[in-house]
Amino acid sequence: MIELPRSNHQPAPAIKFVGLGGAGANVLDRLILDGLDPDSAIAMNTDVQALNGSVTRMKIHLGQNTTRGLGTGGDPDLGHAAAEEAAEEISAALAGGDMVFVCAGLGGGTGGGAAPLIAHLARKAGAFTVVFATLPFAFEGRRRTSQAAEALAQIETQADLVVCFENDRMGEALASAGGIQQAFIAADQTLSQGIRAVAAIVQRPGLLALGLDDLSALLKKRNTRCLFGYGESDGPNRAHEALDRALRSPLMDRGRMLAGAQDVLIHITGGPDLTLNEATILMEEFNRHVSDHTRIHFGFATDPHLARRICVAILSAEEAPAPVAKKLPQAARHVETPAPAAEPTAKPQAELFSAPLEQEPSGQAGAPDEDDPGDSYYNSPPPSTAPPMPEHKAVPKYAPQPATAKKEERAEQMPLEPASRGRFEKSEPTIVDGEDLDVPTFLRKNTRVK
Amino acid sequence: MGKDRIVVGLEIGTSKVCAVVGELKGDGSVQILGVGEAPSRGVRKGEIVDMENCGKCIREAIAEGEDKSDVMIKNVYLGVTGAHIASFNNRGSYTLPEDREKIEEEDVARVEDAARTAPIPARNMSVNTILQHFYVDGQDGVVTPVGMFGRTIEADHHIVHGVSNRIQNSFQCLKDLDLEIEDFVFTPYAAAQAVLTQSQKSTGVLMIDIGGGTTGYCVYAGGAVKQSGCIGVGGDHITNDLSLGLRIPMGKAEQIKIREGSCTLGNSLPGETVTLKDEHGFAGKEIEREMLNTIIHMRVRETLELMKRDLEKENYLDYLGGGIVLTGGTSELRGIKHLTEDVFGMPVQLCKARNVSGVTSAFENPRYSTAIGLVKYAQATTGSEGGGGWRWLKDFFK
Repeated sequence: MIELPRSNHQPAPAIKFVGLGGAGANVLDRLILDGLDPDSAIAMNTDVQALNGSVTRMKIHLGQNTTRGLGTGGDPDLGHAAAEEAAEEISAALAGGDMVFVCAGLGGGTGGGAAPLIAHLARKAGAFTVVFATLPFAFEGRRRTSQAAEALAQIETQADLVVCFENDRMGEALASAGGIQQAFIAADQTLSQGIRAVAAIVQRPGLLALGLDDLSALLKKRNTRCLFGYGESDGPNRAHEALDRALRSPLMDRGRMLAGAQDVLIHITGGPDLTLNEATILMEEFNRHVSDHTRIHFGFATDPHLARRICVAILSAEEAPAPVAKKLPQAARHVETPAPAAEPTAKPQAELFSAPLEQEPSGQAGAPDEDDPGDSYYNSPPPSTAPPMPEHKAVPKYAPQPATAKKEERAEQMPLEPASRGRFEKSEPTIVDGEDLDVPTFLRKNTRVK
Repeated sequence: MGKDRIVVGLEIGTSKVCAVVGELKGDGSVQILGVGEAPSRGVRKGEIVDMENCGKCIREAIAEGEDKSDVMIKNVYLGVTGAHIASFNNRGSYTLPEDREKIEEEDVARVEDAARTAPIPARNMSVNTILQHFYVDGQDGVVTPVGMFGRTIEADHHIVHGVSNRIQNSFQCLKDLDLEIEDFVFTPYAAAQAVLTQSQKSTGVLMIDIGGGTTGYCVYAGGAVKQSGCIGVGGDHITNDLSLGLRIPMGKAEQIKIREGSCTLGNSLPGETVTLKDEHGFAGKEIEREMLNTIIHMRVRETLELMKRDLEKENYLDYLGGGIVLTGGTSELRGIKHLTEDVFGMPVQLCKARNVSGVTSAFENPRYSTAIGLVKYAQATTGSEGGGGWRWLKDFFK
């Protein structure tokens, strides 16, 4: 007998979870409370008090000398310097991880300042690096919003994948009803579910496996915002309920957010008793929410621990409305103390990013050392007369097509209408495929009528 | 069966508002007692755009209906339509508790609830949820599952939904007139109740209801509604096209459409003309017949093709043993039967309401199909539900 080697028996990739700053620590705590292995979690913060409050076992205090145990006061440069001080400690902690998941809130100093550096260190250690970033609520002020946009652009040059969540969106569903605390909790919850789902996708070998290639396909475009929904159910009609709950997640807007998506990833995990029929019903229902052109990345796994539960995770990305960063007063900050994170030039960026797309989940995706873009991070001199923000270079490059073609189509129709709609002039137009059906057919088809 | 009951079907159409008063006989037949009708104002493409004028028209139609039937109208069955209305099929499933294998009423209620709670957009409301079939442990086409043995029971529903604000406009109109809404129905579904026979429904049929402002359709296969929808184009558009193309007023365009218009091309002699007589304020005009027909033909063909494209999204067109049934006011247009046959490539018949008695002029005319269908719908639903089930609506309007 010939024994064929089973392809799936290699161990699941080891993932290290880094919670950075206040927001990251909250999410990490929630993950641990939800059953994450505490040994794989590392909390990092500049604020010693906050760090001590975390339930994580492994903690790294950033910037013992720089901030002396206090926070950064919202200054990303300080956050960056603090992380730099602890760089060796961080590298040591990250060693041995096949993948590193960094979660950070980008509005503040620690998350925004240190995240690019930590992503960089993780990649240098040879790990596939995924950054889960949250953008601050709008009510936190424009300064934080623009700081976050800046940090995001830097992270995008360092990490293999960036999954970006908008707090505003996540809080929206609750903020009006519940208090501000609930809005933050909702945001944390969504983020932690998202992290768990992504971890499950890469760790749990499935019947129909999803891989990093699928994730990359979703998130390869720059400056995207992640749409994520998660639901589980063990009720009698569990397939329907799980999907329904996933679609009810704040970021899904009852499935409407999916209508325009190019790529949608759906991952179904069920206990051993999950039937094909249920999967079919679920997918049929799901298909109603996406358009015919959407590419669906479908993953399916069973997990005996789930018993009768079905979990559905939906992940997609939409393009951010516009480059978020504006020229705001803090440009001055860069002239005084140019953040080293601002350096990476366009060339290593491109290479860093083309690499992960071909890599396998188990292949320890990091190893980007051919060109050693890692070192360019430190070696290239700080630009003393640098352009104020790196994303001014990066964003236009990766954010093409400012307007959608559909809208233009309608706009072109406009001049025709007033002259030729007759009695329907004042009524709402009936537009099908960009044609206004109220305009006489013979006019639209250019048939000559005397 | 219960005692005779009088119900009123009210259709607020684009060309007319029409109230049909019908008596539901204990033996299951329907007798039309009277029809009230008023030309419609303030309705475009099936939706109310001018509440005040529309209210007046409804009042006129109701008053006429009361006169003719000698019945005081308090409650109505309302037809709703509009291009915003969409539909889809949804399946709900329910697994019986471990200790039981025989399906009971409550299980059926559970599975129906599951199928009804379909994800529709937040600004929409459900108009009708129509039961299609049950499945018991995957067994197809079960009609009454109660009493059967099985583990899982599934139900398919056809769910029709539309933008709630727009639907509520017509509710408000009726509320202003102190009329209560017994139930509301998507008009193509109502019309189908009036014009289709049971055997047509089971062999598969496409019913097209071409009205003044909208064209609705409803596909039946295997005895259940499979697909339904509405396009915001109707007879009004033909008139408008004629008015713009021939440069004549709307009134004249409507007149010539009804009197002379046809969808058939190449049927007129070269140079043949139609004369619009001169009347006060209108100079009279000679119109080339071929041109008249070309304008009508293009509009109707386009509408049918749009509908065909909608229908082709799901492949029920191959299963229509009963062909196509045309109804609605615009189905009286000459040549529309042949044009529809040409577009869809299957036999077409023109139909009006059937299986009703009473005022002959009412059911002899396809334009009343929808309003009569509303009465038939009342008969079909209250036969089993006993008139309840929509109390919440009344509470809603208090």
